[in-house]
Amino acid sequence: MTESGNINASGDGGGNWVPVPLLEKIKEEGRVWAELASDYGVTNPDPPWKTSLDGMCEALAAGSCSSVAAAEKKWLAGSVDRGSMDAPLPLLERRWEEDELSETLYQDVPFPERQLLSLVHSLIKRGLVKEEDLIARMKLVHERLSAT
Amino acid sequence: MVEEISDFEALEIAVRELAIEKGLFTAEDHRRFTEFAEHIGPTPAARMVAKAWLDPAYKQQCLTDAIAASKAVGVDWLNPTGFGTPSDYTDLRVLEDTPTVHHVVVCTLCSCYPRPILGFQPEWYRTPNYRRRLVRWPRQVLAEFGLSLPAEVEIRVEDSNQKCRFIVMPVRPAGTEGWNEDQLTEIVTRDCLIGVALPKPGVTSNIEMPMHHAKNPAHH
Repeated sequence: MTESGNINASGDGGGNWVPVPLLEKIKEEGRVWAELASDYGVTNPDPPWKTSLDGMCEALAAGSCSSVAAAEKKWLAGSVDRGSMDAPLPLLERRWEEDELSETLYQDVPFPERQLLSLVHSLIKRGLVKEEDLIARMKLVHERLSAT
Repeated sequence: MVEEISDFEALEIAVRELAIEKGLFTAEDHRRFTEFAEHIGPTPAARMVAKAWLDPAYKQQCLTDAIAASKAVGVDWLNPTGFGTPSDYTDLRVLEDTPTVHHVVVCTLCSCYPRPILGFQPEWYRTPNYRRRLVRWPRQVLAEFGLSLPAEVEIRVEDSNQKCRFIVMPVRPAGTEGWNEDQLTEIVTRDCLIGVALPKPGVTSNIEMPMHHAKNPAHH
Protein backbone atom coordinates (compact mmCIF):
# COMPACT_ATOMS: atom_id res chain seq x y z
CA MET A 1 0.00 0.00 0.00
CA THR A 2 1.25 3.48 -0.80
CA GLU A 3 1.36 6.41 1.54
CA SER A 4 -1.82 7.70 -0.08
CA GLY A 5 -3.54 4.48 0.90
CA ASN A 6 -4.26 3.52 -2.69
CA ILE A 7 -3.28 -0.13 -2.92
CA ASN A 8 -3.47 -0.09 -6.71
CA ALA A 9 -1.20 2.89 -7.14
CA SER A 10 1.80 0.71 -7.85
CA GLY A 11 0.82 -2.91 -7.37
CA ASP A 12 -1.03 -5.16 -4.95
CA GLY A 13 1.48 -7.97 -4.79
CA GLY A 14 -0.77 -10.21 -6.82
CA GLY A 15 0.67 -9.36 -10.19
CA ASN A 16 -1.62 -6.40 -10.87
CA TRP A 17 1.12 -3.85 -11.20
CA VAL A 18 0.14 -0.31 -12.02
CA PRO A 19 2.73 1.82 -13.79
CA VAL A 20 4.56 4.58 -11.95
CA PRO A 21 4.71 7.57 -14.35
CA LEU A 22 8.34 8.49 -13.55
CA LEU A 23 9.53 4.93 -14.05
CA GLU A 24 7.51 4.58 -17.24
CA LYS A 25 9.17 7.70 -18.61
CA ILE A 26 12.63 6.36 -17.76
CA LYS A 27 11.70 3.01 -19.26
CA GLU A 28 10.66 4.67 -22.50
CA GLU A 29 13.30 7.38 -22.79
CA GLY A 30 16.27 6.25 -20.70
CA ARG A 31 19.31 5.00 -22.57
CA VAL A 32 20.35 1.57 -21.36
CA TRP A 33 23.95 0.54 -20.81
CA ALA A 34 24.12 -1.66 -23.90
CA GLU A 35 23.35 1.37 -26.09
CA LEU A 36 25.72 3.70 -24.28
CA ALA A 37 28.55 1.17 -24.24
CA SER A 38 28.12 0.59 -27.96
CA ASP A 39 27.97 4.31 -28.79
CA TYR A 40 31.06 5.14 -26.74
CA GLY A 41 33.04 2.01 -27.58
CA VAL A 42 33.13 0.77 -24.00
CA THR A 43 33.46 -2.95 -23.34
CA ASN A 44 32.40 -3.19 -19.68
CA PRO A 45 29.50 -5.65 -19.56
CA ASP A 46 27.79 -3.81 -16.70
CA PRO A 47 27.10 -0.12 -16.11
CA PRO A 48 29.30 1.52 -13.47
CA TRP A 49 26.33 1.94 -11.14
CA LYS A 50 25.64 -1.84 -11.02
CA THR A 51 27.77 -2.57 -7.93
CA SER A 52 26.23 0.42 -6.15
CA LEU A 53 22.79 -1.00 -6.94
CA ASP A 54 23.89 -4.37 -5.54
CA GLY A 55 25.21 -2.62 -2.46
CA MET A 56 21.90 -0.82 -2.04
CA CYS A 57 19.92 -4.07 -2.27
CA GLU A 58 22.16 -5.66 0.35
CA ALA A 59 21.92 -2.62 2.62
CA LEU A 60 18.14 -2.49 2.31
CA ALA A 61 17.86 -6.15 3.23
CA ALA A 62 20.04 -5.59 6.25
CA GLY A 63 18.82 -2.20 7.33
CA SER A 64 21.75 -0.48 8.89
CA CYS A 65 23.93 -3.26 10.29
CA SER A 66 24.70 -1.12 13.29
CA SER A 67 21.06 -0.21 13.88
CA VAL A 68 19.94 -3.82 13.44
CA ALA A 69 22.56 -4.93 15.94
CA ALA A 70 21.37 -2.28 18.38
CA ALA A 71 17.73 -3.32 17.86
CA GLU A 72 18.68 -6.94 18.42
CA LYS A 73 20.23 -6.10 21.78
CA LYS A 74 17.08 -4.26 22.82
CA TRP A 75 14.94 -7.15 21.60
CA LEU A 76 16.99 -9.66 23.57
CA ALA A 77 16.63 -7.41 26.60
CA GLY A 78 12.88 -7.40 26.07
CA SER A 79 12.58 -3.64 25.58
CA VAL A 80 11.39 -3.72 21.94
CA ASP A 81 9.30 -6.16 19.92
CA ARG A 82 10.66 -8.34 17.14
CA GLY A 83 9.16 -6.16 14.42
CA SER A 84 11.56 -3.32 15.12
CA MET A 85 14.37 -5.49 13.73
CA ASP A 86 12.74 -6.01 10.36
CA ALA A 87 14.57 -4.80 7.28
CA PRO A 88 12.88 -1.94 5.40
CA LEU A 89 12.70 -4.09 2.28
CA PRO A 90 13.19 -7.81 3.02
CA LEU A 91 15.26 -9.65 0.45
CA LEU A 92 12.67 -12.25 -0.46
CA GLU A 93 9.91 -9.69 -0.95
CA ARG A 94 12.16 -7.61 -3.17
CA ARG A 95 13.15 -10.60 -5.28
CA TRP A 96 9.58 -11.83 -5.72
CA GLU A 97 8.43 -8.37 -6.73
CA GLU A 98 11.35 -8.13 -9.11
CA ASP A 99 10.25 -11.44 -10.62
CA GLU A 100 6.72 -10.15 -11.12
CA LEU A 101 7.74 -6.76 -12.47
CA SER A 102 10.29 -8.38 -14.78
CA GLU A 103 7.50 -10.44 -16.31
CA THR A 104 5.07 -7.53 -16.59
CA LEU A 105 5.85 -3.80 -16.59
CA TYR A 106 9.57 -4.10 -17.22
CA GLN A 107 9.76 -7.22 -19.34
CA ASP A 108 11.28 -5.37 -22.29
CA VAL A 109 13.91 -3.60 -20.20
CA PRO A 110 17.35 -5.26 -20.12
CA PHE A 111 19.19 -6.29 -16.95
CA PRO A 112 20.35 -4.59 -14.70
CA GLU A 113 18.20 -1.57 -15.66
CA ARG A 114 15.19 -3.84 -15.01
CA GLN A 115 16.51 -4.65 -11.54
CA LEU A 116 16.85 -0.95 -10.76
CA LEU A 117 13.34 -0.06 -11.95
CA SER A 118 11.90 -2.97 -9.97
CA LEU A 119 13.72 -1.95 -6.80
CA VAL A 120 12.49 1.64 -7.06
CA HIS A 121 8.98 0.43 -7.81
CA SER A 122 9.04 -1.68 -4.63
CA LEU A 123 10.26 1.29 -2.58
CA ILE A 124 7.55 3.58 -3.96
CA LYS A 125 4.93 0.90 -3.38
CA ARG A 126 5.82 0.82 0.31
CA GLY A 127 5.96 4.59 0.65
CA LEU A 128 9.64 4.34 1.56
CA VAL A 129 10.44 6.79 -1.25
CA LYS A 130 8.02 9.25 -2.87
CA GLU A 131 7.82 9.61 -6.61
CA GLU A 132 7.79 13.42 -6.43
CA ASP A 133 10.93 13.41 -4.27
CA LEU A 134 12.65 11.19 -6.81
CA ILE A 135 11.72 13.50 -9.67
CA ALA A 136 13.14 16.49 -7.83
CA ARG A 137 16.30 14.64 -6.78
CA MET A 138 16.96 13.29 -10.26
CA LYS A 139 16.83 16.83 -11.59
CA LEU A 140 19.40 17.89 -9.01
CA VAL A 141 21.60 14.88 -9.77
CA HIS A 142 21.53 15.65 -13.49
CA GLU A 143 22.47 19.28 -12.82
CA ARG A 144 25.21 18.28 -10.41
CA LEU A 145 26.79 15.71 -12.70
CA SER A 146 26.56 18.01 -15.71
CA ALA A 147 28.14 20.98 -13.95
CA THR A 148 31.59 21.98 -15.13
CA MET B 1 34.54 6.38 -21.24
CA VAL B 2 30.83 7.13 -21.46
CA GLU B 3 30.41 10.90 -21.28
CA GLU B 4 26.67 10.88 -20.92
CA ILE B 5 24.51 10.71 -17.81
CA SER B 6 21.65 8.32 -18.40
CA ASP B 7 18.35 8.54 -16.57
CA PHE B 8 19.12 5.13 -15.08
CA GLU B 9 22.37 6.40 -13.61
CA ALA B 10 20.63 9.47 -12.20
CA LEU B 11 17.84 7.31 -10.81
CA GLU B 12 20.29 5.04 -9.00
CA ILE B 13 22.02 7.99 -7.38
CA ALA B 14 18.75 9.76 -6.52
CA VAL B 15 17.10 6.77 -4.87
CA ARG B 16 20.27 5.95 -2.95
CA GLU B 17 20.58 9.50 -1.61
CA LEU B 18 16.93 9.60 -0.56
CA ALA B 19 17.17 6.18 1.10
CA ILE B 20 20.17 7.34 3.15
CA GLU B 21 18.43 10.58 4.11
CA LYS B 22 15.39 8.62 5.25
CA GLY B 23 17.55 6.31 7.33
CA LEU B 24 16.77 3.12 5.38
CA PHE B 25 20.48 2.38 5.52
CA THR B 26 23.62 4.33 6.25
CA ALA B 27 26.08 5.69 3.74
CA GLU B 28 28.78 3.68 5.48
CA ASP B 29 26.89 0.40 5.13
CA HIS B 30 26.21 1.13 1.48
CA ARG B 31 29.88 1.85 0.83
CA ARG B 32 30.94 -1.41 2.49
CA PHE B 33 28.39 -3.52 0.65
CA THR B 34 29.37 -1.90 -2.63
CA GLU B 35 33.04 -2.62 -2.01
CA PHE B 36 32.09 -6.22 -1.29
CA ALA B 37 30.14 -6.35 -4.57
CA GLU B 38 33.13 -4.97 -6.46
CA HIS B 39 35.70 -7.48 -5.30
CA ILE B 40 33.84 -10.80 -5.44
CA GLY B 41 34.01 -13.13 -8.42
CA PRO B 42 34.31 -16.80 -9.40
CA THR B 43 38.08 -17.16 -9.03
CA PRO B 44 38.15 -18.42 -5.40
CA ALA B 45 35.69 -21.22 -6.19
CA ALA B 46 37.61 -22.13 -9.36
CA ARG B 47 40.85 -22.25 -7.41
CA MET B 48 39.23 -24.39 -4.75
CA VAL B 49 38.31 -27.00 -7.35
CA ALA B 50 41.72 -26.83 -9.00
CA LYS B 51 43.48 -27.33 -5.66
CA ALA B 52 41.20 -30.24 -4.87
CA TRP B 53 42.04 -31.90 -8.18
CA LEU B 54 45.72 -31.72 -7.26
CA ASP B 55 45.56 -32.49 -3.55
CA PRO B 56 43.47 -35.46 -2.31
CA ALA B 57 43.62 -34.29 1.33
CA TYR B 58 42.34 -30.84 0.39
CA LYS B 59 39.66 -32.43 -1.76
CA GLN B 60 38.48 -34.40 1.24
CA GLN B 61 38.34 -31.21 3.29
CA CYS B 62 36.28 -29.53 0.56
CA LEU B 63 33.77 -32.37 0.66
CA THR B 64 33.53 -32.60 4.44
CA ASP B 65 34.11 -29.01 5.58
CA ALA B 66 33.86 -26.57 2.69
CA ILE B 67 33.78 -23.59 5.05
CA ALA B 68 37.24 -24.47 6.37
CA ALA B 69 38.45 -25.30 2.87
CA SER B 70 37.30 -21.91 1.55
CA LYS B 71 39.81 -20.17 3.82
CA ALA B 72 42.61 -21.69 1.73
CA VAL B 73 41.36 -19.64 -1.23
CA GLY B 74 40.96 -16.44 0.76
CA VAL B 75 37.26 -16.58 1.62
CA ASP B 76 35.97 -16.33 5.18
CA TRP B 77 32.59 -17.88 4.48
CA LEU B 78 31.00 -17.06 7.82
CA ASN B 79 32.07 -13.44 7.72
CA PRO B 80 32.69 -12.66 4.05
CA THR B 81 32.27 -8.90 4.18
CA GLY B 82 34.22 -8.52 7.40
CA PHE B 83 31.41 -6.48 8.96
CA GLY B 84 28.27 -8.60 8.75
CA THR B 85 25.95 -9.52 5.93
CA PRO B 86 22.18 -9.90 5.60
CA SER B 87 22.46 -13.08 3.64
CA ASP B 88 23.22 -15.43 6.50
CA TYR B 89 26.00 -17.42 4.91
CA THR B 90 25.96 -20.31 7.35
CA ASP B 91 26.69 -23.32 5.18
CA LEU B 92 28.63 -24.10 2.03
CA ARG B 93 28.75 -27.49 0.40
CA VAL B 94 30.81 -28.83 -2.47
CA LEU B 95 29.00 -31.32 -4.70
CA GLU B 96 31.38 -33.85 -6.20
CA ASP B 97 30.62 -35.06 -9.68
CA THR B 98 31.63 -38.55 -10.75
CA PRO B 99 31.64 -40.18 -14.19
CA THR B 100 28.07 -41.31 -13.53
CA VAL B 101 26.62 -38.48 -11.38
CA HIS B 102 26.35 -34.83 -12.40
CA HIS B 103 25.18 -32.01 -10.12
CA VAL B 104 23.58 -28.71 -11.05
CA VAL B 105 22.56 -25.87 -8.73
CA VAL B 106 19.43 -23.72 -8.66
CA CYS B 107 17.48 -21.59 -6.22
CA THR B 108 13.83 -22.29 -6.87
CA LEU B 109 12.69 -19.68 -4.32
CA CYS B 110 14.64 -16.61 -5.48
CA SER B 111 18.30 -16.51 -6.52
CA CYS B 112 20.40 -17.71 -3.56
CA TYR B 113 23.97 -18.14 -4.73
CA PRO B 114 27.40 -18.59 -3.09
CA ARG B 115 28.37 -14.98 -3.74
CA PRO B 116 31.41 -14.72 -1.43
CA ILE B 117 33.18 -17.44 -3.38
CA LEU B 118 31.50 -17.25 -6.82
CA GLY B 119 30.52 -13.59 -7.31
CA PHE B 120 27.14 -12.39 -8.53
CA GLN B 121 24.64 -14.57 -10.29
CA PRO B 122 24.39 -14.50 -14.07
CA GLU B 123 21.14 -13.00 -15.27
CA TRP B 124 19.68 -16.34 -16.37
CA TYR B 125 20.20 -17.86 -12.90
CA ARG B 126 17.82 -15.24 -11.49
CA THR B 127 15.00 -15.91 -13.93
CA PRO B 128 11.85 -17.87 -13.05
CA ASN B 129 12.28 -19.59 -16.40
CA TYR B 130 15.53 -21.32 -15.36
CA ARG B 131 14.40 -21.87 -11.78
CA ARG B 132 11.14 -23.54 -12.69
CA ARG B 133 12.26 -25.58 -15.64
CA LEU B 134 15.54 -26.95 -14.32
CA VAL B 135 13.83 -29.00 -11.63
CA ARG B 136 11.30 -30.38 -14.10
CA TRP B 137 13.52 -31.04 -17.09
CA PRO B 138 17.15 -30.92 -15.93
CA ARG B 139 18.51 -32.96 -18.81
CA GLN B 140 16.79 -30.82 -21.41
CA VAL B 141 17.72 -27.53 -19.76
CA LEU B 142 21.36 -28.60 -19.53
CA ALA B 143 21.23 -29.46 -23.22
CA GLU B 144 20.09 -25.89 -23.89
CA PHE B 145 23.36 -24.78 -22.31
CA GLY B 146 25.19 -27.10 -24.68
CA LEU B 147 25.70 -29.80 -22.07
CA SER B 148 24.24 -33.03 -23.38
CA LEU B 149 24.86 -35.81 -20.89
CA PRO B 150 24.58 -39.51 -21.72
CA ALA B 151 21.43 -41.20 -20.42
CA GLU B 152 23.46 -43.31 -18.01
CA VAL B 153 24.66 -40.18 -16.18
CA GLU B 154 22.36 -39.38 -13.28
CA ILE B 155 21.56 -35.69 -12.84
CA ARG B 156 21.04 -34.32 -9.34
CA VAL B 157 19.55 -30.83 -8.94
CA GLU B 158 20.47 -29.12 -5.70
CA ASP B 159 18.16 -26.36 -4.45
CA SER B 160 19.94 -23.51 -2.66
CA ASN B 161 18.40 -21.59 0.19
CA GLN B 162 19.22 -18.67 2.41
CA LYS B 163 21.33 -20.76 4.76
CA CYS B 164 22.98 -23.28 2.47
CA ARG B 165 24.79 -22.61 -0.80
CA PHE B 166 26.50 -25.01 -3.20
CA ILE B 167 29.25 -25.23 -5.78
CA VAL B 168 29.88 -28.15 -8.10
CA MET B 169 33.22 -29.93 -8.26
CA PRO B 170 33.38 -31.38 -11.78
CA VAL B 171 35.46 -34.36 -12.78
CA ARG B 172 38.93 -33.26 -13.86
CA PRO B 173 38.90 -33.46 -17.64
CA ALA B 174 41.25 -35.51 -19.78
CA GLY B 175 43.99 -33.53 -21.43
CA THR B 176 45.00 -31.67 -18.27
CA GLU B 177 47.65 -34.11 -17.10
CA GLY B 178 50.65 -32.27 -15.69
CA TRP B 179 48.81 -28.94 -15.45
CA ASN B 180 49.48 -26.71 -12.48
CA GLU B 181 46.90 -25.03 -10.23
CA ASP B 182 46.78 -21.79 -12.22
CA GLN B 183 46.20 -23.63 -15.48
CA LEU B 184 43.43 -25.74 -13.96
CA THR B 185 41.80 -22.72 -12.33
CA GLU B 186 41.38 -21.06 -15.72
CA ILE B 187 39.14 -23.81 -17.11
CA VAL B 188 36.88 -24.07 -14.05
CA THR B 189 34.42 -21.46 -15.23
CA ARG B 190 31.45 -19.99 -13.40
CA ASP B 191 29.17 -22.19 -15.49
CA CYS B 192 31.11 -25.32 -14.46
CA LEU B 193 30.75 -24.36 -10.81
CA ILE B 194 26.97 -23.99 -11.18
CA GLY B 195 26.86 -27.24 -13.13
CA VAL B 196 25.59 -26.07 -16.52
CA ALA B 197 28.94 -26.80 -18.19
CA LEU B 198 31.88 -29.16 -17.88
CA PRO B 199 35.50 -28.02 -17.82
CA LYS B 200 37.38 -28.46 -21.04
CA PRO B 201 40.95 -27.57 -22.00
CA GLY B 202 40.89 -24.35 -23.99
CA VAL B 203 37.49 -23.19 -22.75
CA THR B 204 37.72 -20.35 -20.23
CA SER B 205 34.52 -18.38 -20.86
CA ASN B 206 30.86 -18.80 -20.01
CA ILE B 207 27.92 -19.25 -22.32
CA GLU B 208 25.62 -16.36 -23.23
CA MET B 209 22.06 -17.51 -22.72
CA PRO B 210 19.05 -15.86 -24.35
CA MET B 211 16.43 -14.80 -21.81
CA HIS B 212 12.97 -16.31 -21.92
CA HIS B 213 10.02 -15.20 -19.89
CA ALA B 214 8.06 -17.61 -17.73
CA LYS B 215 4.28 -17.57 -17.87
CA ASN B 216 4.04 -17.24 -14.10
CA PRO B 217 6.59 -16.08 -11.55
CA ALA B 218 8.30 -18.87 -9.61
CA HIS B 219 6.44 -18.41 -6.35
CA HIS B 220 2.97 -18.80 -7.86
